[in-house]
Amino acid sequence: MPTKTRPIEKFASAVAKCSAEGSVYGKCIVADYNNVHKDKCLAEFLRLKECYLAAYKKR
Amino acid sequence: MNSFRIRAFIPSPSLRIIPLRTSRGYAVQAPGAPTLEIFNRQTKWLQKERAASDVEGSRNVDYLRNEVASRLCERLLDINRHFPEVLDLGANACNIARMLTLPSPESPDAGPRANRISNLTAAESSRSLLYRDEDLEFNNEISIIRDVLTTSETLPYDPNTFDAVLSSLSMHWTNDLPSVLAQVNNILKPDSPFLGVMIGGDSLFELRTSLQLAEQDRRGGVSTHTSPLADVRDIGGLLQKAGFNLLTVDVDDIVVDFPDSFALMRDLQAMGESNAVLGREMGAIQRDVLLAAEGIYRELHGNEDGSIPATFRLIYMIGWKDGPNQAKPLPRGSGMVSIKDVLESQEGGSGDQKK
Repeated sequence: MPTKTRPIEKFASAVAKCSAEGSVYGKCIVADYNNVHKDKCLAEFLRLKECYLAAYKKR
Repeated sequence: MNSFRIRAFIPSPSLRIIPLRTSRGYAVQAPGAPTLEIFNRQTKWLQKERAASDVEGSRNVDYLRNEVASRLCERLLDINRHFPEVLDLGANACNIARMLTLPSPESPDAGPRANRISNLTAAESSRSLLYRDEDLEFNNEISIIRDVLTTSETLPYDPNTFDAVLSSLSMHWTNDLPSVLAQVNNILKPDSPFLGVMIGGDSLFELRTSLQLAEQDRRGGVSTHTSPLADVRDIGGLLQKAGFNLLTVDVDDIVVDFPDSFALMRDLQAMGESNAVLGREMGAIQRDVLLAAEGIYRELHGNEDGSIPATFRLIYMIGWKDGPNQAKPLPRGSGMVSIKDVLESQEGGSGDQKK
């Protein structure tokens, strides 16, 4: 019986492949988490998202 | 008292078109306790029904409720009494009943904990969740009546009905805690205990902070994703206001490790504990925010082995309804012996014990 994969699981498995980028982004935010403003870590986030999108498509 | 008349008064057409400006009135607070709405009860009910419709998924996430219910039952055993009628308020999937049929972990040979009670009434607003485990074996080992509440905040029981009221992990979704606690006090027999546990304090602070930081960076603002919770210091006041005596409040932290933040959110959803705050943002959290929150959660709170912790702070509360033979503090000013004299006569000094 084929099990139905929920979208969140597909999402989670794609995100799991980008732990390096996620860690860079997380460090950028956590470095000064009392002063977070919009797009504080935009460059790091875009790299993370790029990696995630690639992983999501490849799957 | 509250007698008032309703008159059939139909104003003439000329009176009916008075402009609003001329008919001013006072803004009046309705008498009785102000009803503060924090949670959407309909949403919460729907979430529980949905969660329980996936029976296997729902049973898999019973770990927290079973553990907490077991700890609450231990507290019931501490009271050296037999309880003929017990109410489980907000029973979820009857986790307390299940835990009562097991022996106490401290004395495994003493038989099931349910020996101490005769009848258990399990009351819960979600029918599917309440009847989820109806055909499991533990139902035969305890006399249990399931009762679906039409509203979770009005208790349909007569005063002085129960010898104990238990409540495990459901009171944190109550809008009007003072009212519910006062009703609990009312349905208890005199000199009977209420034992409750609710999620409170800094529960899930890891998830709360990472979602906040992620939204701050991605969207430039925050919205509510976790409930406001009662704090330990609020509970004493709440119980006292509801008329309970001999209060005991204590706190217990349970930290659960998850592989990633999505597993945590999925489990919360399967428990039926998703966000149900009024005025929350409708629809799912944006994927950008989830993606960002996962990275932040790992960096800010993650364990060394790559898992992430989620803290559940449980607040246990015990209160006793007033009874005629209950121990009471003496009235003020009735003390006739000075503590100073007692200490001086005992040790011949100022109370410092010399060795």
